[in-house]
Amino acid sequence: MEEHVGQIWDKLVTRLSDRSYKDSAVTLLDVSKPLGIFFRALGGDNALRIVESTATQHFAKRNWKHRVAGTGKYVELSWQDEDTLHLPKQINVFPDTDLNKDLYYWLAAINAHTLENPSAKARGLQGWFAYSQTITLEVLERFPGLQSRYDRLVGAYLQLRNIDEQFNEQEQSQEDAIAQALRKPGSLEQIPTSQYAPRPVLLWPHPNPPEVVDLSSRRAQPDKDVEGESTPSKPEESKKENKRRNAERVDMPDGKDGLILHRFESIFGFSEFLNINRSTEDDDEADQDKADNNADDMDFLSVARDNKTKGGKVKFDLDLPAESMDEVVLESDVFLPEWDYKKQIMQKDYCSVINYMHDTGESGELPENLRRTAKKLRHQLEALTTKRVWHRHQSEGSELDLDAYINYVGERYSGHKVEQPDLYQQLRSSERDLSCLLLADFSLSTDTWLSNEARIIDVIRDSLFLFSESLRNTGDQFSIYGFSSRNRGHIRFNTLKTFDEKYNGIVRSRIQAIKPGFYTRMGAAIRYAAAKLEQQDTQQRLLLILTDGKPNDLDRYEGRYGVEDTRRAIHEAKAKGLQTFCITIDDQGGEYLPHIFGTNGFTIIRKPEHLPQKLPILYANLTTNPS
Amino acid sequence: MTTSDQTTEIPFYSPQGNEESLFEHAYGNQLPVLLKGPTGSGKTRFIAHMAAQLNLPLYTVSCHDDLTASDLVGRYLIGDGQTVWNDGPLTRAVREGGICYLDEVVEARKDTTVVIHPLTDDRRILPIDRTGEILHAPDNFMLVVSYNPGYQSMMKGLKPSTRQRFISMSFNYLKPSQEQEVVEKETGIDAHMAKKLVAMANALRQLKDHDLEEGASTRLLVYTARLIKSGFDPVEACLAGLIEPLSDEEDVVSALMEVVYASFGK
Repeated sequence: MEEHVGQIWDKLVTRLSDRSYKDSAVTLLDVSKPLGIFFRALGGDNALRIVESTATQHFAKRNWKHRVAGTGKYVELSWQDEDTLHLPKQINVFPDTDLNKDLYYWLAAINAHTLENPSAKARGLQGWFAYSQTITLEVLERFPGLQSRYDRLVGAYLQLRNIDEQFNEQEQSQEDAIAQALRKPGSLEQIPTSQYAPRPVLLWPHPNPPEVVDLSSRRAQPDKDVEGESTPSKPEESKKENKRRNAERVDMPDGKDGLILHRFESIFGFSEFLNINRSTEDDDEADQDKADNNADDMDFLSVARDNKTKGGKVKFDLDLPAESMDEVVLESDVFLPEWDYKKQIMQKDYCSVINYMHDTGESGELPENLRRTAKKLRHQLEALTTKRVWHRHQSEGSELDLDAYINYVGERYSGHKVEQPDLYQQLRSSERDLSCLLLADFSLSTDTWLSNEARIIDVIRDSLFLFSESLRNTGDQFSIYGFSSRNRGHIRFNTLKTFDEKYNGIVRSRIQAIKPGFYTRMGAAIRYAAAKLEQQDTQQRLLLILTDGKPNDLDRYEGRYGVEDTRRAIHEAKAKGLQTFCITIDDQGGEYLPHIFGTNGFTIIRKPEHLPQKLPILYANLTTNPS
Repeated sequence: MTTSDQTTEIPFYSPQGNEESLFEHAYGNQLPVLLKGPTGSGKTRFIAHMAAQLNLPLYTVSCHDDLTASDLVGRYLIGDGQTVWNDGPLTRAVREGGICYLDEVVEARKDTTVVIHPLTDDRRILPIDRTGEILHAPDNFMLVVSYNPGYQSMMKGLKPSTRQRFISMSFNYLKPSQEQEVVEKETGIDAHMAKKLVAMANALRQLKDHDLEEGASTRLLVYTARLIKSGFDPVEACLAGLIEPLSDEEDVVSALMEVVYASFGK
């Protein structure tokens, strides 16, 4: 009963204190696509992802309603770091939907703008006050059309800003300064100080965006002897919203001072530093859920990096293929460069590739369950085979086109005026001069189970089988390779079929033998594959990349670094006159794929189990002339 | 096909770099030239300008899917009781001298390379099988082809063996100040408006590869400026002249319109 009353009371006061307009709310999800385009057009970085920002505690004075209800402590503001642009999850400040939308565009505009004088981006209260006005001025000068929108926003915002608030003298003068700075940006240099921080200004950038810890420097020490990392083996169902949390990275505590040292009361404060050992033990799903709940309750998460990673599911001793007997190294110590986007330099001879091949000496057969599909696909792809057909109505050719001639003569004798007739026919083969290199991702994540029967790697295996079966009769030249990597010194390139080989039992046995490797250093693999494909002397050369996720590796090859290097590798391949296309089953890929491969350079297969059938069809569509 | 004879007026062209002198040297040494660059970046205008500058007739052929070698070389026409040989644009240019400009050459059928190749090496000949003639190109004949490396379909690329027969020049979008000057000169629009338009076009070009296949061309910019100059509402002119031509997707168009509003107000 008590609890019930408590809940009602909570609802009541929360509603009372809540001054947002639910009906006219605009969510980031609604506007993120146009907003992204707008942001990039105004000069925002192409590589940034747009994500929902975390709420920030603002430390300003709250009115009594908020204090009673325990709300209003947090505000969602916008900022960007090197990977992401953070925008509020939803905006419901104004009663008018259009104004809320305008606010989104305004926030995108100020974040897209880079200051003419970057040092103006000072910290601290005064710095923030001056910087916010400068950026407003510069954005309005560059895009004068935004002025009217800005004026509307400021007008509406100032009206709503201080309803229900009571200020003492200092606070009032602070509020007046903000109002003036909003109305006439650049007119005030200083903001008067008071006991509290000024209330957050939604039209301005974040006063103190969460620190971005440079991962590479933090990771430098404890990560050296990391041995392997695993992703959860179950496909993650999106049962909960992907809420982002405020977090920081801290040093690993030595673990000697345990929980017992905390006084009991402090348990109520979740944000105390609790040394809960979670990283190295295997965690089942129930545990995971509990942890998620706890994380939701906390204001701030502190994450430390242990030098041991979740080891439970990494079977790398078993997977380490270098030791296997049936392996033939074709080429080793091939050195390739890598692009460092931060320094904007190409690091020469940075990666080393081993090219190997499984040689079991046996001849493999096509798995029984694929035979029917293979036959069907072969039939469908027959259209790709080069056939010689009679082209009629040609202006020149080896034979007379009798139909055309009869028509022509008939028309002439009946008194029509006739233009140049095309009276010939010619036997021509349809033009097709193409080679394709299929590069498949054999990283550890392909070990994930899709269903009870199949892992991703099994789907990839089936895809490779059907791809080869379909293409064997078309006359297109093709080769198949797979890759995985472990750090820059160990990029394994698995040769399944070269351009010179025939597709036969031996190739089938190699495809049969594929297994998940380690990580996805995509840039180096693409460079190596491109060098192979470049040697093909056909008119069209297509590099087809089959992957299940983002580029990543153990070292700093993750996030933006990996994406930028891969993008660079794709650009190099294109400059060599190769065509590239990526097929992915990563449904989160929409964010980074256009940046790497270009708008029309990729496709996402939402249901991975359809990949085997879809791949050959996709290939056919890609390589046939639409006209 | 269009043929333009010498005109007294030289078409306006604002050079991006040394392309004019490079072209003159190529002409002086009888070298064929390949122009590449995005659509609307001034390739065709450049050729028109140079042809007028060098006082040469210009034979322009816009290539398309069905353009065959005989469209270039010529064919027999059946007339009243007789057949008459009719020269194609390429043959005419070889016979009479002048610039033969094959626009978007990758679009043409593959058999056109057969006639292009012997003209582009030191033989400089055009064999015509039908008539049994072998024409030697005079010194004032020049072959120029253009293509857009950006947007052709996966099945269309220029063969390396063709590409390596030409002196190549890259065209790109102009620097903002220069582009503004071009827009002003072409349309007579005021400097303030021209500056706004150029700034907006540059904003849209940032979206190339990520959100759009191709950026807004100088040509589109000139069209838009003409609409505005003749009194059409600027925002509407941008929608029709700059935004709609770039994308067919509704949400992309509406997002791009936000960029227009950012320049012209809403």
